[in-house]
Amino acid sequence: MNLLRIAFKSARFRRTNLLLTVFTIAISVTLLLGVDKIRKESKSSLLNTVSQTDLIVGARSSPTNLLLYSVFRIGNATNNVTWETYQDIASQEELAWTVPISLGDSHRGFRVMGTTTDYFDFYQYGNGRALVLEEGERFEAVYDTVLGADVANELGYDIGEEIVIAHGLVSADFAEHDDKPFTVVGILDKTGTPVDRTVHVSLAGIEAIHVDWQDGGRSAVTLNAEQALQLDLTPTSITAFLVGLENRAETFRVQRRINEYSAEPMSAILPGATLAEFWRTISTIEQILFVISGFVLIVGLLGMLTTILSTLNERRREIAVLRSIGARASHVISLVLLETLLVVTAGCVAGVGLLYGLLALARPVVTRRTGVNLAMTWLDSTQLSILAGVIVGATLVALIPGIIAYRRSIQDGLALKV
Amino acid sequence: MTAEPRSVLRLEGARFRWPGQTDDLIAIDDLTLEAGEHLFVRGASGSGKTTLLNLLAGVNTPTGGTVQLLGTDLADLSASRRDQFRADHIGVIFQQFNLLPYLSTLENVTLACAFSARKRARAMEDSDVPTTARRLLEALNLPPSFHGAAVNKLSVGQQQRVAVARALIGGPEILIADEPTSALDAENRDRFLELLFHEAEAQHCTLVFVSHDPALADRFSRTIELRSDTDDARSGRADVAP
Repeated sequence: MNLLRIAFKSARFRRTNLLLTVFTIAISVTLLLGVDKIRKESKSSLLNTVSQTDLIVGARSSPTNLLLYSVFRIGNATNNVTWETYQDIASQEELAWTVPISLGDSHRGFRVMGTTTDYFDFYQYGNGRALVLEEGERFEAVYDTVLGADVANELGYDIGEEIVIAHGLVSADFAEHDDKPFTVVGILDKTGTPVDRTVHVSLAGIEAIHVDWQDGGRSAVTLNAEQALQLDLTPTSITAFLVGLENRAETFRVQRRINEYSAEPMSAILPGATLAEFWRTISTIEQILFVISGFVLIVGLLGMLTTILSTLNERRREIAVLRSIGARASHVISLVLLETLLVVTAGCVAGVGLLYGLLALARPVVTRRTGVNLAMTWLDSTQLSILAGVIVGATLVALIPGIIAYRRSIQDGLALKV
Repeated sequence: MTAEPRSVLRLEGARFRWPGQTDDLIAIDDLTLEAGEHLFVRGASGSGKTTLLNLLAGVNTPTGGTVQLLGTDLADLSASRRDQFRADHIGVIFQQFNLLPYLSTLENVTLACAFSARKRARAMEDSDVPTTARRLLEALNLPPSFHGAAVNKLSVGQQQRVAVARALIGGPEILIADEPTSALDAENRDRFLELLFHEAEAQHCTLVFVSHDPALADRFSRTIELRSDTDDARSGRADVAP
């Protein structure tokens, strides 16, 4: 019979107390690992909002601002890019593709984005995932629109329905393009990106609803939808455009050339780098959460220490018996450490089990509601080091009761009175 | 048997006091116990019986003089070597609650071999450790039906006999018993002592038996008395001839 078996049987004998401790540690571990998991998933989800796009180009502004309005549809561009400049840059030979986007209007709280059908071919998110139509098809006619998943879902739109776009970002009756309604021709699959909350129309559509508008109001001469179609609907300017390069190694050279474009002040940003920078500014919350769960773990370990210290009293006799048959100081201390190790390991295993159980339960809901795909991956190195840290920390903590137990056993000697 | 002229137990000017105490709790000038002798230590509570046992078992070391067991001065050994010495050469029986409640009867007996390679080797001379343990239990009137039982299913008398089996397995030279009969009624006490002596003799084991009950002294070849007035604690004076 070795010490581990003795420790195991002894722990099993006092399992009611110890199970509570195991449970406390399991919860702390689940919390700690869960926060870490959520942090990583939301980070990768954010960083993967745009992929395969090498540059985003807009009028001169801060990189974060350009990223926010072009990708996240937050805030506004301070300036537009003229169609000529766009055409000029897009024709440069290093560029494999460009997708123009035009922002500024909205529909019941959702941003309207004018673009070309190239958008559906080249815009990618996640790990190179393309946009997929859940129903219908891409826009083709001027007054066609393709809705993001959330737009269709929240407003209850189906294919064939007509919607009216509001001028600007605040929906108000007097500023609606109600003379030129759009027809829903397609609805996109959920992506977990701002695409879900976007109403997509063609550049010509954006142009058409604005032909009879001047300086934010209707002009005296009004043209109906049919009349507008007779005009040349090539836009005069766009808000920004996405760029894919023939050769990624050219990225910085092309970026510099655009930043130094003489005809118009322009900014070109690397989406990945700017996203990472953006993440750093908003990740404080996650860090605070992580620190809090660290404290929860410390409370859990202190609870364990309390439990072990309180069991030492009822274990005095047990330890006296073991000492009488020759157990040494190291045996007594090891016995307490082994018990702690058993409890903490059980707590970690239960905690990991709880985490994956919760993940399995939450996965479909989270994917449906946020589009974030909670990958059921095995614990990564950070999480394994968290677990190792918990076990090592607990063992160090258990040295205290271990040494107390031994010193007490010396005082008690062999003839412990009841 | 080749008789080795080696004392099992030898105390010379042994003194013990806790730090901060002004008087010696134990003062035994000369006490020698040869193999085959059994010692009865009589003393009222507070007379230092427990302290003496802790000295003999090597849990404490004397503050003066020497305590030799089997020719070894325990004070010469480190704390962990003294623990090992106890594991190898001594069996201990408490007043009660000798057993670990989470082990079966049989496991409680074989536990003694977990801390001593010497006891383990000696318990395996004829067969394996569990078989030796079973034989001891049966010799102590504990039939096999009890061997797998949880120890809290046993009566106090039965538990004390399991403790004897554990103290004796692996053939220690010295058996230290601290009031092992105090929780037993007279009838059980006599039967228990009978078995204890019988098994100790069979294993050529020297018995050191502590009790407050003078009625038991007759059975022992040697007796010392510890007085609660510690200055009068003497050894040898109350020796009874065999």
